[in-house]
Amino acid sequence: MGKVQLQISRRTFLKGALTGSAGAALALGALEEAAAAPSGKGATPWYYRGEIKRAYSVCDMCPWRCGVIVQSVNGRVYKIDGNPADPKSRGMLCARGQAGASFMYDPDRLRSPMIRIGERGEGKFQEVTWEEALDAMAQKLLAIKEQYGPESVAIFGHTSGEFWFTDYFAQAWGTPNASKPSSSLCTSPREEASLLTVGLPVGGHEPVDWEGVRCVTLIGSHIGEDSRNTVMQDFTRAWARGAKVIVVDPRFSSAAAKADYWLPIKPGTDTALLLAWINVLITEHRYDAEYVAEWTQGFDKLAAHVAEMTPEWAAAITELDPELIRTTARVMAEHLPQSVIVPGRHVTWYGNDTQRMRAVYIINALLGAYGREGGIYFNKSPYIEAYPHPPFAVAGSSGGCSAEPGAENGELPVGPSGKARADGARTKFLRGPTAMQELIEPMITGEPYPIKALIVYGVNLLHSIPNVPRTIEALKKLDLVVAIDVLPMEHVAWADIVLPEATIYERFEDVWTVSHKTPYIALREPAVEPYADTKPAWWMARELGLRVGLEKYFKWETVEEFVATRLQSIGYTVEKLREEGGVIVQKGKPYLSDFKGASPFKTPSGKIELYSEALALAGHDPLPVYTPVEEPPPGWFRLLYGRHPVHTFAKTQNTPLLHQLNPENELWLNAEVAASLGLKNGDRVWLENQDGARSGPIKVKATQRIRPDAVFMSHGFGHNAPGLSLANGKGASDAALITRYALDPICGGAGMRVNFVRIVKEA
Amino acid sequence: MALYAFLLDLSRCIGCEACAAACIAGNELPAGAQYIHLIEQTHGVFPHLTGGFKNHRCYHCADAACVKVCPTGALYKEDGLTRLNRDVCIGCAYCTDACPFNVPQIVDGRSSKCDACAATTKAGGQPWCVRTCPSDALRYGERREILAEAHARVEAIRARYPKARVYGEAEAGGLGVVIVLPDAPEAFDLPANPQTPLLLDVWQKVVQPAAVGLTGLSVLVTGVAAIIARRNHMKELAELRAQQAQTEQNAGAQEGER
Ligand code: SF4
Ligand code: SF4
Ligand code: SF4
Ligand code: SF4
Repeated sequence: MGKVQLQISRRTFLKGALTGSAGAALALGALEEAAAAPSGKGATPWYYRGEIKRAYSVCDMCPWRCGVIVQSVNGRVYKIDGNPADPKSRGMLCARGQAGASFMYDPDRLRSPMIRIGERGEGKFQEVTWEEALDAMAQKLLAIKEQYGPESVAIFGHTSGEFWFTDYFAQAWGTPNASKPSSSLCTSPREEASLLTVGLPVGGHEPVDWEGVRCVTLIGSHIGEDSRNTVMQDFTRAWARGAKVIVVDPRFSSAAAKADYWLPIKPGTDTALLLAWINVLITEHRYDAEYVAEWTQGFDKLAAHVAEMTPEWAAAITELDPELIRTTARVMAEHLPQSVIVPGRHVTWYGNDTQRMRAVYIINALLGAYGREGGIYFNKSPYIEAYPHPPFAVAGSSGGCSAEPGAENGELPVGPSGKARADGARTKFLRGPTAMQELIEPMITGEPYPIKALIVYGVNLLHSIPNVPRTIEALKKLDLVVAIDVLPMEHVAWADIVLPEATIYERFEDVWTVSHKTPYIALREPAVEPYADTKPAWWMARELGLRVGLEKYFKWETVEEFVATRLQSIGYTVEKLREEGGVIVQKGKPYLSDFKGASPFKTPSGKIELYSEALALAGHDPLPVYTPVEEPPPGWFRLLYGRHPVHTFAKTQNTPLLHQLNPENELWLNAEVAASLGLKNGDRVWLENQDGARSGPIKVKATQRIRPDAVFMSHGFGHNAPGLSLANGKGASDAALITRYALDPICGGAGMRVNFVRIVKEA
Repeated sequence: MALYAFLLDLSRCIGCEACAAACIAGNELPAGAQYIHLIEQTHGVFPHLTGGFKNHRCYHCADAACVKVCPTGALYKEDGLTRLNRDVCIGCAYCTDACPFNVPQIVDGRSSKCDACAATTKAGGQPWCVRTCPSDALRYGERREILAEAHARVEAIRARYPKARVYGEAEAGGLGVVIVLPDAPEAFDLPANPQTPLLLDVWQKVVQPAAVGLTGLSVLVTGVAAIIARRNHMKELAELRAQQAQTEQNAGAQEGER
């Protein structure tokens, strides 16, 4: 095995595949023909010339996870389509889902386990065998456990095999410091606000009852650019049915272009708008009074609280027309209870986000939306047993996007040596899932106790966690860094051990279970063999478990066996699930009427808590309050970031098909401002933030579509990993410019829209 | 024989590019080839804006200029759609110049444009782009059904978009992509009256035989001939355009006199 650097020259994937299999050779011959004449008169494409194999799985190109059918011929995937029986995809996929094969056949993929031979961050590695890599990892982990306790190992994970590391291995090993970026860097404010207000999590699939909705309000949620497949389907169908659409966004987003009302709000002032809407609903008696009387508590306190918060008051803050504020509140009310403010997804904006999300839910409650057809349904988890493992060393680890791990009794779970989470839960912030960004500090300072090892599964540390310089400092201090990934992302260069993962279409995976209006379970079976020397996450977790004395948790030998055991609990086998089209759809209890008078709201009062006793007790505002956020100084712009429809996080910029569609991000800059700066469309500029961090160059998009006080770019660009041969050096990185964040004192979320940038014309 | 067509509802399209991706994936297009481009349209001044997306793709004109100029028969009409047989294309690029919508591109030395998923639709499937469009902005079927759907949709959105109309019913002899337009064609950067260059018929009858001669040559000595053909062609086309402009001017002048 030779020395390799992450700067691997671009080789053709097929060449790699050929060395392994004769089947691939056949496919290649046919493929070349097809490429020469993809639509020749009468020529049959290669993929119609062999036996087509169909496999059921679930898309992994974003965390939404649409069910797919993967068609392959002679061991090569040729087309991935939505599974019509799947409640999320319904036979369709977004651009990213369509590019699943392109992601899998990316010639830049990691192909072998590697051990570092240069300095950390240098990206110099030696290819090794799986035995060597796993033995080295196990040895180091055991030494760290011996000296510091198992809690000193942090595990970060995202993407479809995260369960094996952030949940299964972490709990078996005994660390409460496992975390997913989908919580404190994304949804935890909306989840904690929902738990505080209605006693229920929002969950991975926002329970908007789109089919009957008559008025939809989006706050910063840019459906269409945020291309979650089902949401685009639901939104456009509701729109086509004539549902009113209200969009609050500093940017004229694709969704705003469809809106009946667009509110180009001043960034950071959303809570003022929400409070004014509450004021209109209450003072004009436009709320669902009967529903409010039956299902909520604290209404009088709320009414008194917002009495002075008129549209005129909010207009001065939000820079919106007061009449527009009043009109939109009335439109929402006219359509109640089929009127909903959509919870949104990435809501870690300003550090006061839990309170803003509470205001959103209070409005939904005043509109009588919870548990009503066309409003917000109650989702339900599908019935299937967990694998019967022995009790874990720590109960509850990462918490996922919707719950605080193991906090039913209000106490945080502790690890085997008696330590609870190191992220400052209960001290720096009140509650919520493990906050990833708060685990960085303990790696540097050793407070409240040292974190010495980091296993990072599929999270690009340097594109997701705010304050990159701090993360780098932490990476330098750790005793062990293990990166499990598909591609040589920038943080992979900082690892001691690199483990290459097989993609979802190359591996069997635990069944996918979705809490939903119609709860469902989806099969995830492989379509083709793993590329080169890559392995599935479950296999890595198990092999590691066997090496660190956790044999009792890994009695099962393959994930197929694990899945078969689980399916048995509902009278299914893998074969039966396959025969039935890869999906089991169960019945839910979506509406209030399904509860026959009992309360579905799991708050202490059993009601929707407009006024929160829990927050009052903890010393927080029991009713949402508008607190101004710092404004950019003259000449500076607030940095806003979001999605481009063909990309996910920092994961897909190197995927050839998606790279072709969108090779780099652009800097949205108000056209007048651009003109005053002497900038025009296509000019390349650098950005510098308040702390002197720079990123670029990035192409200017001078547009009327954005306010003059902010700039916008799509997230995930500005890669500087040399091994990403397409994405490297393209566009600017929003993450590099997010050196500061505002910690949400309630949920531990990292508010990231608090950075300012100025435009620099020269590097 | 039934005529087929696409429905493209630009009032629904949300610009997600799933269609463009599905097309590349399903047809395994060579690197760089792309049959659908989403082009943002914005009108007005902040905060008084309207906008949407234009789906730049082959419109499958009934009176297809690209077919008329194609010297090899690589481009041809079938079931109302404009197909492309890359096998016999010589990359002369006449089609790229003739198309009133600027659609065909030369990729890897051959023309590249939507062929309406010939392989898939002939096997009984729907085109890849249509199958995956999450907003139901795309449909494919018999042209008269597509036209009926388009008119129904225009009626349904009139309250929101008073200027809504069907585009492509008669334009360029009738397009194989019938568009639900929420606004005037100009707002979506579409020609109000797309026209096959007037003298294309002359071109087809008189000039093309000469080009075919060059084509024979080009099969023998590919590169050189293509360059010659292209150079001649550019000259001829410029002349044709000048003549056409002159004719239009004359026509305009006559109208003015009346
Ligand atoms: S939304 Fe798109 S990327 Fe995400 S799971 Fe669905 S198809 Fe895949
Ligand atoms: S898939 Fe549909 S909605 Fe998306 S860009 Fe294409 S036509 Fe528009
Ligand atoms: S749009 Fe252009 S390429 Fe398509 S049929 Fe018409 S002339 Fe030919
Ligand atoms: S019809 Fe087929 S070839 Fe044409 S754009 Fe759609 S997917 Fe591409």
